Amino acid sequence: MTGGAGAGHRAAYFAFDRFPSSKGSAVHIAQMADELFASFGGGLLGVLGGGGLPRYQREGDREIARFDAQIPNLIDRAEAFSGWVADHLEPHRETLEVCHVRDPWSALPVVALPGRRRVVYEVNGLPSIEMAHTWPWASKAALGKIRELERFCLERSDAVVVPSRVIGAAVRGLGVPEERIRLVPNGADVRERPERPSGAPERYLVYVGALQPWQGLDVLMRAFARLADLEGLRLVVCASVPERRAKPVRRMAERLGVAGRVDWRFALPHHEVAAWLAHAEVSVAPLTGCARNLDQGCAPLKVIESMAAGVPVVASDLPAVRELMADGEHGRLVPADRPAELARAVRILLEYPEEAAAMGERARRRIADGLTWAHSRAELASVYRAVMAGGRDARSARDVPDTPGAGRDVPGARDARNAGAGAAHRAER
Amino acid sequence: MTPCIVTTGFFVLGRCGRQAVTSCPQCGRAVCAQHAAPQSGHCPECMAAHGYGSQNPFDPSWTGGYRRRFYERSSQTYSDTYWYSSFDEFDRGAFNPGDDYSYGEGDFGPDDGTGFVDS
Repeated sequence: MTGGAGAGHRAAYFAFDRFPSSKGSAVHIAQMADELFASFGGGLLGVLGGGGLPRYQREGDREIARFDAQIPNLIDRAEAFSGWVADHLEPHRETLEVCHVRDPWSALPVVALPGRRRVVYEVNGLPSIEMAHTWPWASKAALGKIRELERFCLERSDAVVVPSRVIGAAVRGLGVPEERIRLVPNGADVRERPERPSGAPERYLVYVGALQPWQGLDVLMRAFARLADLEGLRLVVCASVPERRAKPVRRMAERLGVAGRVDWRFALPHHEVAAWLAHAEVSVAPLTGCARNLDQGCAPLKVIESMAAGVPVVASDLPAVRELMADGEHGRLVPADRPAELARAVRILLEYPEEAAAMGERARRRIADGLTWAHSRAELASVYRAVMAGGRDARSARDVPDTPGAGRDVPGARDARNAGAGAAHRAER
Repeated sequence: MTPCIVTTGFFVLGRCGRQAVTSCPQCGRAVCAQHAAPQSGHCPECMAAHGYGSQNPFDPSWTGGYRRRFYERSSQTYSDTYWYSSFDEFDRGAFNPGDDYSYGEGDFGPDDGTGFVDS
């Protein structure tokens, strides 16, 4: 294993997520990985590829490797990714000092790698909670095994980074001690007001983000149906997902009779979304009150980015949102899953444009004063410093040998290489 | 002029576009002086891939590395039976795309970069 891998990297960042993409997670990965590589003089970024992205890229002292095996079953794919991560750690084993991971399947080969290195585990969500929503057929037993895997990786990490206090509480619930959990909030960049996007309606509400059930698009559509009397008001949905994933939501809009007043934009690049936000009357974040948002928690970038754009936000009154904005100061918080309440709050904001503009301005200031990416990155850099300074004794005290006499090896490349074949067999059956 | 078609950029990707001086002996893409490897003229993508060894079981170089790693690692077995067989057929079945009600990943298309935590 010589030649191409060149000098071993000191840092690596792994995420089971496509990068770059139009999703909020990609923005987050870009900021976090950038900070990691700035702190350690470059490094290796291991992410998902496909969709025409190159398999390997070199940018100066940074290397991007992308996993693009087409394995339909998610668990099979995740395990194959684990093996792939193990393979990509191998050439850097001697030099690696810090590994930053975002999910249990990236973390597993890292925490299982023999030798000593620091692991920073960034928890933006817990698959054991969130997958119950995305994969309704998943059994309690299967989710329990995923939770076990999370616990296994979390207890072997040196620092656990969370973007919100609610997620911090969920991680504490998995048995991670308080002193190892570090809050690094999400951020946004406060920029000059961008040009009005071409084709933008005169007055519009905006929703930005993905379209899963917990985002509350159904609540928003119902609320919008109640605003039918407002002349010329339109709703712009800037979805971060491709068009074919919007089918259920569009059908619902048709049923409610609002489809004619809704404009759709799909997978826009980040700077275009900023323009749509900046010129909206109100930005809406109607997150539902489900386990994913309440027990696991979230740190909705859509709220932070709307605030940074200086547009008043109407959002659901959830603990995770309350961390970011205050009711009546930066926008309005309304009870989750209540279309009538949501519609009323929007209507009142539209009635009082000066007050709404003042809220937008206050929101913008709040971001500028403490929630920019620069703030988050400074926090993260301090986490890295603390982790590097942390005594090795603390780490070794935590190293529980799993089975007496058996060191841990990386999940065998065997599994990884056969995972694809196995999945193919399963698909045929 | 033939432009160099190496992908560049971190969050916003683009093509290099400088004057190409050679073509990569492995994949044949046009590479400029900055991106070509000093002696061999490989493009950065092939160079990096080379560093991680072959991932293709049909590649002759894969066999040697695999055999060596197998014997290196068999002395310290990762407790395979622990995680890697812990998800049984029943557990996995729920995560097949395209089943009824599987939200989001209705089919496994080229634009599905879905992670576990899909925001």
